[in-house]
Amino acid sequence: MLLRIVHTTRFEYQVPAYDSHNEVRMRPLDSASQRCVEFDLDLTPATSTFEYDDYYGNRVHGFSFHEQHPALIVAAKSLVERIAPPPAPAVPMPFGEFLLEDHARNRAEYDFLNASRHVPFSEPLRKFFWLGKPDPSEDVAAYANRMVAFIRDQFVYEPGMTKVQSTADEILSAGGGVCQDFAHLTIGVLRLAGIPARYVSGYLAPEAKSTVETVGAQASHAWLEAQLPGSGWTGFDPTNGCMVDERHIRVAIGRDYADVPPMRGTYRSHGGRQLMSVELQIERMSDHSRATDPDNGSNQQNQQ
Amino acid sequence: MTATVPETGKAVPVWAAYKPVNSAFDEMLDMSSRARPGCQPVVDTMFAMPPAQFTEICARADRMFRRMGVTFNVYGAADGSERIFPFDPIPRVIDADTWANLEAGLIQRVRALNAFLADVYGDGCILSDGVVPRDLVLGCAQFRRAAVGIKPPLGNFVTVAGIDLVRGADGRFYVLEDNVRTPSGVSYVIENRVVMTRLVPNLMRSCRVRSVERYPADLLQCLMEQSPNGKSNPTIAILTPGPFNSAFFEHVFLSQQMGIELVEGVDLVCVDRKLYMKDVHGLRQIDVLYRRIDDDFLDPLVFRPDSLLGVAGLTSVLRAGNAAIANGVGTGVADDKAIYAYTPAMIRYYLAEEPILPIVETFLLRDPEVREQVLKNLDRYVVKPTGASGGYGVVIGPKADEAELAATRDRIVSDPSAFIAQPVIALSVHPTIIHNGSESAMEVAPRHIDFRPFVLLGAKPRVLAGGLTRVALREGSLIVNSSQGGGSKDTWVLEA
Amino acid sequence: MLRRIASHLFWTARNLERAEWRARLLDVNYHLLIESPPRDAQPWGPLLAIFGERELFTASYTTADDASILNFFALDTDNPNSIRSCINAARNNAISLRHYISSELWLDLNTLYLNAQEWTPDLFVSPGVFAFFADLKDSFYRLAGIRQSTIPRDIAYDFMQLGIMLERTEDVSRMLDVKYHFLLPRLEDVGGSVDILQWAAVLRSASGLEAYRKRFGNSIRIDNVVEILLFDPTFPRSARFALATLETSLNRVMSLSPEPSPPSTQLEELSALMRSKRPLEVIKSGLHQFLIQIQDGCAALGDEVFQRYLKTD
Repeated sequence: MLLRIVHTTRFEYQVPAYDSHNEVRMRPLDSASQRCVEFDLDLTPATSTFEYDDYYGNRVHGFSFHEQHPALIVAAKSLVERIAPPPAPAVPMPFGEFLLEDHARNRAEYDFLNASRHVPFSEPLRKFFWLGKPDPSEDVAAYANRMVAFIRDQFVYEPGMTKVQSTADEILSAGGGVCQDFAHLTIGVLRLAGIPARYVSGYLAPEAKSTVETVGAQASHAWLEAQLPGSGWTGFDPTNGCMVDERHIRVAIGRDYADVPPMRGTYRSHGGRQLMSVELQIERMSDHSRATDPDNGSNQQNQQ
Repeated sequence: MTATVPETGKAVPVWAAYKPVNSAFDEMLDMSSRARPGCQPVVDTMFAMPPAQFTEICARADRMFRRMGVTFNVYGAADGSERIFPFDPIPRVIDADTWANLEAGLIQRVRALNAFLADVYGDGCILSDGVVPRDLVLGCAQFRRAAVGIKPPLGNFVTVAGIDLVRGADGRFYVLEDNVRTPSGVSYVIENRVVMTRLVPNLMRSCRVRSVERYPADLLQCLMEQSPNGKSNPTIAILTPGPFNSAFFEHVFLSQQMGIELVEGVDLVCVDRKLYMKDVHGLRQIDVLYRRIDDDFLDPLVFRPDSLLGVAGLTSVLRAGNAAIANGVGTGVADDKAIYAYTPAMIRYYLAEEPILPIVETFLLRDPEVREQVLKNLDRYVVKPTGASGGYGVVIGPKADEAELAATRDRIVSDPSAFIAQPVIALSVHPTIIHNGSESAMEVAPRHIDFRPFVLLGAKPRVLAGGLTRVALREGSLIVNSSQGGGSKDTWVLEA
Repeated sequence: MLRRIASHLFWTARNLERAEWRARLLDVNYHLLIESPPRDAQPWGPLLAIFGERELFTASYTTADDASILNFFALDTDNPNSIRSCINAARNNAISLRHYISSELWLDLNTLYLNAQEWTPDLFVSPGVFAFFADLKDSFYRLAGIRQSTIPRDIAYDFMQLGIMLERTEDVSRMLDVKYHFLLPRLEDVGGSVDILQWAAVLRSASGLEAYRKRFGNSIRIDNVVEILLFDPTFPRSARFALATLETSLNRVMSLSPEPSPPSTQLEELSALMRSKRPLEVIKSGLHQFLIQIQDGCAALGDEVFQRYLKTD
């Protein structure tokens, strides 16, 4: 399946901004099940960008504006090929056996087994884990599925109950949140169980052929991957209570949201506020239209 | 009632009660009250001094320090007065042979720490080979993932190191702690020497004391060698948090001595992945930044977003190789007190040498068996938080009361990997003047000291021939920090 | 030179100059009132009006008597331009300048600052207003002396000069304005003995009485006072002297620029204004208006210096 994605973020400054420095994590990852065929970052005002791969292998694009500017538009355009390879089969393993390797796993996957900024191992999280904790005979993969379903069931998806800086504690106390919170909470529970879990930021392609949505600040979708016996890093989407399928486009991975914000920046101005709006277009392309589509430009740099 | 010194036969009223203790190594006199190697001239001179002369010397020293502005800072809103770091005029002497061993050990140590940093921020071989546990490094708050991929010039993560040493009851020097983030104190070393040169010039000359005045020139040389891409005649600046920082005097001092600009965050800007300072005539590029702020505050884009002390985009400048900072990003992982336990292994791993300077035996409390053993005898250990520096958070078992021990026990149990334990080392002692409120009550008594020599790493390593000897002014106290009741002495390393 | 440091140098010097002029103005006004008791119910009105601080004053004080005025102008830290506030600002700017100014200058300024923290209204009673201002004048002289003898004539010195001379130009014109515009008695008193006494007091407060006599003799005439305080290029506290000194420093700063610097339009305008008229013309066409023009010109020049050299953000 081929998808064209255009993720546009607009900033307007009540008082012009200057000395602005930004990092963007919007280029979809390359993996066995996904290939980023093309990627362009269009910036208005135009400026040069630099790239590097961060600690978790996410492609980062950086750019800055020294001079004053009243607005900033960042348009990430990608063409992604999504293949759903046959998944490696999960190897059944009870927790009793799984945890024998816990020490070694803590060394190999430290970052994804321990607390992180949005996933502190707090009292509320520990209590929540304890409620549904596995016993030694339970199968690891089955437990992961059980927790994903449980969390989907127990919490309501509702924007506004939490904030972008919220930790997993907030969804526990509020009873609901957005996909970021569902992911953080599931990650917390799995880590406490000894299962390495990492946060994935990306997009969820629509069912229909294409959509243009204005979704406020949350264009990206968030889910997680758990490292299970046999199947390795396996994707789960707790917001939708299911496993990951070919509609999920992976953009960046990390310990939690703090490692993978789609955009992070600083700027200066003499007062005023920053108004942000986001637009996300995802279009399914059929295979033959890719070869003949004249608009399939690979080097469009916006030179306004 | 005055005693006499066996060697000189002179009356020593101030020293009447002085006796080397057998619980700690006295650096001036051995157990028979004979002067240790190199100390005879000091003993001869200072044992003969009457209280009035000591009073005069101390007063002169105080005046000199004030005039030079050697203060540690207290710019309170209503209080403009400045405090002098207490100074004791009896110098601590290190003979040439002892120093030769220390110097070799320090160079070896800093080379290994630097190699460790290059490794953990590079290929991580020492972790894959299981010599240092990977989770110890990754779990260290000072391990900066953003620094992976930044290659400093010459591979030097460390340019300035302050290695804290103590001398045990056996007379051997042990490494107590490494400081490779923003070690401070060298300005006191230099200013103490300036004062002593004026107070006891003849004594100093007769001892043939090695000079410390080259330090700023040597530091400047090392900073120039850190120039990115070997750019010649690089522009260097010191980044200070500003006048309200307790080490501000040192930042000013070093900038003056090296003849380089002293900048604060507000003076800096990154443009097109280059670092500049805001000059009245435009932007001036900086090639090497000697930064005296912590990683957390370096770059609001990557680290703490509320920091005003650093400059947005600095990490990207470093990554592009358009500027270098000293010390590099992420050196704090080598400071960590749990990682410290593995430093002998690092020396063997990177240098294929046996460590010249021993470390203090260290127990990692994350190990349940070790923890159990330590908790059973908590009153016999010194407990330290792994991530803190200086004397903060340290609990000295034998000196703590039941309540403090219980609280410490709780802290350890709730977060064992955050603590290490070490046996109590009886720090060496040195004769120190105790004023006791009046000249007639003045006496010289043994007080605990430690030692912080400074190691520079440029194209090659250099050790300052001297260092900061800190003295715990309160009787029996082992805490030597300036902010916690400590003072300092001039340290004389003798020519061979 | 870092812009932030240039700014600290500029403001340390400017605040000290401001504090000194405030002290002199307060001193002259106080003694004028003693020597010639006011017919006016609002004897302090002119001083408040000149600084545009009437509203700030009435917000916190109910009566405008000697005690409250002295407190407001000298001690009140809620008044950002009181003598104490200016000294505080000067010292706080100087904290960052330890390596640009001599230790003597810092120590002396810090001592003045520490003393100022101890000032209370009791000082005006004992040892009294006269002693207070006499001591203060000595402190300022000593600071100026230390500055002149210890600061090398480099770019740091020039930025201090910019601050000092800009403030001096503004404040000498204010001092003239206080006497001329507001303390002007009824028309029939012009040239009378009270008027003369008042002009003599103004000259004394600018430390210019002897300089006046040397040039013009004993007879005090308004146009000659205007000449010496505004136009005399040799008298250190005249506006012309201040502007000429400012120009020298500004030219030196500009000459250090790696790129050619455009000239200062504001300085050119201000200099042209000073060249445009002679004292009698100024008095005939309106001294107050002329003085306001000078002060506006100073504000514009200060802004230009800020934009060009001091602004960091």
